[in-house]
Amino acid sequence: MLQHIVRRLLTAVPVMFGVLLIGFVLLQVVPTDPATVRAGPMATPDVIEAIRRDLGLDRPLWEQFLRYLWRLAQGDLGVSIINNVPVAQELGATIGPTLELMLASLVWSIPLGLLLGTVAAYWRGSLFDRAVMAFAVAGVSIPVFFVGLVLIWYVGFKWQLLPFTGRGGPIWTIEGLRAIALPALTLGGVFVGPIARMTRTAVLDVLSADHVRTARAKGLAERLVVLRHALRNALIPVVTLIGLQIGFLLGGAVVTETIFSWPGVGRLAVGAILSSDFPMAQGTIIVLSLGFIVINLIVDILYAVLDPRVRAS
Amino acid sequence: MSAATATDTPILVPASDTPPPRAGLLRRLFTEPGAAIAAVMAIAFVLAAVFAPWLAGADPYETNLRATLRPPGGEYLLGTDVQGRDMVVRCLYGLRLTLLMGLVAVVIGGSIGILIGFLAAFYRRVDGLLMRLMDMLLSFPAILFGLAIAAIFGPGVLAIVVAMSIATVPLMARIVRGAALVVMKQDYIDAARAVGMSDARLIWRHVAPNCLSPIFVFATLRFGQVILLGSALSFLGLGAQPPTAELGAMASEGRNFLFFAPHISVVPSVLIFLVVLAFNVLGDALRDALDPRLRI
Repeated sequence: MLQHIVRRLLTAVPVMFGVLLIGFVLLQVVPTDPATVRAGPMATPDVIEAIRRDLGLDRPLWEQFLRYLWRLAQGDLGVSIINNVPVAQELGATIGPTLELMLASLVWSIPLGLLLGTVAAYWRGSLFDRAVMAFAVAGVSIPVFFVGLVLIWYVGFKWQLLPFTGRGGPIWTIEGLRAIALPALTLGGVFVGPIARMTRTAVLDVLSADHVRTARAKGLAERLVVLRHALRNALIPVVTLIGLQIGFLLGGAVVTETIFSWPGVGRLAVGAILSSDFPMAQGTIIVLSLGFIVINLIVDILYAVLDPRVRAS
Repeated sequence: MSAATATDTPILVPASDTPPPRAGLLRRLFTEPGAAIAAVMAIAFVLAAVFAPWLAGADPYETNLRATLRPPGGEYLLGTDVQGRDMVVRCLYGLRLTLLMGLVAVVIGGSIGILIGFLAAFYRRVDGLLMRLMDMLLSFPAILFGLAIAAIFGPGVLAIVVAMSIATVPLMARIVRGAALVVMKQDYIDAARAVGMSDARLIWRHVAPNCLSPIFVFATLRFGQVILLGSALSFLGLGAQPPTAELGAMASEGRNFLFFAPHISVVPSVLIFLVVLAFNVLGDALRDALDPRLRI
């Protein structure tokens, strides 16, 4: 088990290095020169040159890269060009809301997807099954922003049931819950279909397995056969597949945050790119990528915990 | 975004010695009414995009400030936007640009992926390296490519087409490598080698033709997915810039008028949904028809 985790951690190292390298390259190729920006519009060439030396921009690239890694290791991601706020500080304030939104989306979409998929597999070929499958295909075809806009239009504006801009407060307060409801419905909504479809496939596989037939033959109640023998074994592939969908979730989160003005990393990233705030853009992209790598690591380890066969291979 | 594939079953890779029979492909494809409808829709969308300038009969950028924000129905079938531009005309041109972007991304990303897939299958020495690289690319959500590329080159159509292409490369490479490895176990490959056929010719004459169906199925499914990704990036403002007629950008423009003219956002969004749905259903049906063994 430990060996598996260590091996998995080691494979993540080159990927992380790649992310940091891309982040570094990003600041090298952008058209603006940080020294000129910092010096301001009235600066003489001498001043710009001095700042350039000060920032270490006259050093060879590899040395700049090492300095950049060193600064990153200390949590220094630079300062926003637009409002002079440290990038790390802005990121610290936005990571929480992004995670909150993702969790709030998963907390209802995973159970619902599991339920729909299991029932669909059990009554394979029925009208319900076909409806679930149609819903699943629609779910992977619909733009996230469309779901969001429809919810804003009906639930938020026409019926005035729920707020649709910003975060209302801590998640444990009524305002917080009301504010997260529509974003979480949007992001989770496009997630239910794929989960239902994966679950259906996995449960179908397991339902025809020998141990399920044995369970039935010994007269076990049908409910227990499905829950204890079929769904439980089907969970293993479903967990991996859900892990593979995290990227999809992240993409949806960026769009959802933008529509609902949710103060998360995705919205921060899009705003930074649109306003050419390169240090902020770099910081958000690095954090989103590293976060994604870490989540994948956790899913992988979880997978090994659930399925002893993975550890052996 | 790295959209969840419409398929959670693997894209087909011929598993047995004989390729699946092609006879009656169309008939098998259209046993499901859904697949037939999807095919008709997909063809209609492509035709509408190709002939948009003739069908529209007007300029998508022509403004008419006396007829702004008209609701659908009446003189303007799908209404007008804030500048009084006819939504039918804009949607036709938007569809044209959106489909073109998807096509370019699938063709470019797909071609690079196909090349890498064949190289990996053929030359075992580079296989490990290439596939690790592909795994690395694959481990990132496509939306991050979009964000990074838009940050480097600045927002625009080019940036998101590049992102859509890059996100296609590793998936196609994996599929082609898998399919090519199966084909290369066949006796006729050994025979061709024995008569001294060069590697390039062997791939072109014998391996590639036998990998066509997985490539084709994947390209169909991928087309819908890159359109979804591209429209999300455009919606965020990272792609086509206003006033360009592009479906994602149009949906984004309409956000400001959502409460009194929802059709400006809804019409292009529904169009994107229908296009992606058509190609997803068609891709699934093609896979089932080309390899019935994968039907579940």
